[in-house]
Amino acid sequence: MNTIRNYLDNMFLGLPQTEDVTRAKKELLAMMEDKYNELKDSGKTENEAIGIVISEFGNLDELGDTLGIKQVIKNKNDVPIISYEEAKNYIEDSKSTAPKTALGVLLCIISPITMLILIGLREFNFVNVKEDLLIAAGLVVLIILVATGVSYFIKFSSKLEKYDDLKVNLFELDYETEQMVRNVQKQNEQTYKSAVSISVVCYILSALPIIITPLISEVEGLSVLSVAITLIIVALSTYNIINKSSSNEACNVLLQEGDYSVKNKSNKAFQTVSKVYWCVIVAVYLGYSFITNNWAMSWIIWPVAGVLFGAIKAILDVQS
Amino acid sequence: MISSDVIRGYNDTMILYLVLNGPSYGYEISKRIRELTNEKYVMKETTLYSAFKRMESNGYIEAFSGSETNGKPRTYYRITNEGKKYYKEKCEEWEITQEVIEKFILKENDHEYN
Repeated sequence: MNTIRNYLDNMFLGLPQTEDVTRAKKELLAMMEDKYNELKDSGKTENEAIGIVISEFGNLDELGDTLGIKQVIKNKNDVPIISYEEAKNYIEDSKSTAPKTALGVLLCIISPITMLILIGLREFNFVNVKEDLLIAAGLVVLIILVATGVSYFIKFSSKLEKYDDLKVNLFELDYETEQMVRNVQKQNEQTYKSAVSISVVCYILSALPIIITPLISEVEGLSVLSVAITLIIVALSTYNIINKSSSNEACNVLLQEGDYSVKNKSNKAFQTVSKVYWCVIVAVYLGYSFITNNWAMSWIIWPVAGVLFGAIKAILDVQS
Repeated sequence: MISSDVIRGYNDTMILYLVLNGPSYGYEISKRIRELTNEKYVMKETTLYSAFKRMESNGYIEAFSGSETNGKPRTYYRITNEGKKYYKEKCEEWEITQEVIEKFILKENDHEYN
């Protein structure tokens, strides 16, 4: 019966909630419910009953005139319908590109690591080279890693580019497709949830090396090395989370839930703000780090920016 | 199943017939249409509902809420005098329509049919 209710909710999605519309929905539901109950009583299975009820429901177009919402229904019908194949391809492509995108992010996060290790080892006099030279060497590695990482983004995000419309524009799924997507989401739910919790625990633990090292030893080299360890933990957690959340993300996009809800999509301000926001953060990170050379600390901008983004989103949600 | 295009003009007639002898509600009407036509015609829920609304605004039927002896609350429809008049008109119209169309329909035992 829930399936039928969802189906009807979907049909009425986006229609103005006038008294006539609400009454129509209520009565149609009552008729469908009666039919469903009787089919069940006559020995039909749940799925058969749902199938018959939905196939005999008819077309909302017929109600346009009587409910005085002909124009709204016409506009609603202009919304494209995503086919079963398209939805399936999108999920597959998201899944197959996720490990590579995740690798790109991982490379970017660990990019300062060579520099940190070299500087750390120099404090222990393992490496007996001028500091300037070490920084230069570290920078070369950093640039190579970032470049590789970014090239991964570009290569694999262009693969998903054709689906960008799904994230910003409204569309509809037919009943069968929606069921398929919900199944995929359900199958991946456990993997996704455990990946998120493992990664969150790791993020928290990643602060430990930085906190503990000064307690054990005063040697400055050690604290620089501890930052390297922290970065590795953060990088691996992020890799894990991006990789494991890809199909869940794709399902959210297709079901227009979470970040991609109909409400968010109509909130163009939010979309613009988020684009500008992340560009500014990247610029600040690179600018600050290159000018001050404080790579050991500057990475902290990422978690801070992430939390701040949540706050901005909440404010924009309230305003809309 | 019959194409709904052909039958559309007589959906109202069927519904009025079913409330002629006492009020009825959505599902009961659609069920009786299915049964009376031996499942040859199934009226879609949206068709039925828009017919209700149209006839209500034309004053052929009236909606009121009620419930079966042990059932849940439902919207019932009863026919008005206006509706009875309209039903009679439609019946007469059908007699003529049938008579007219009949002239153009080949029967299996007609010699022109092969």
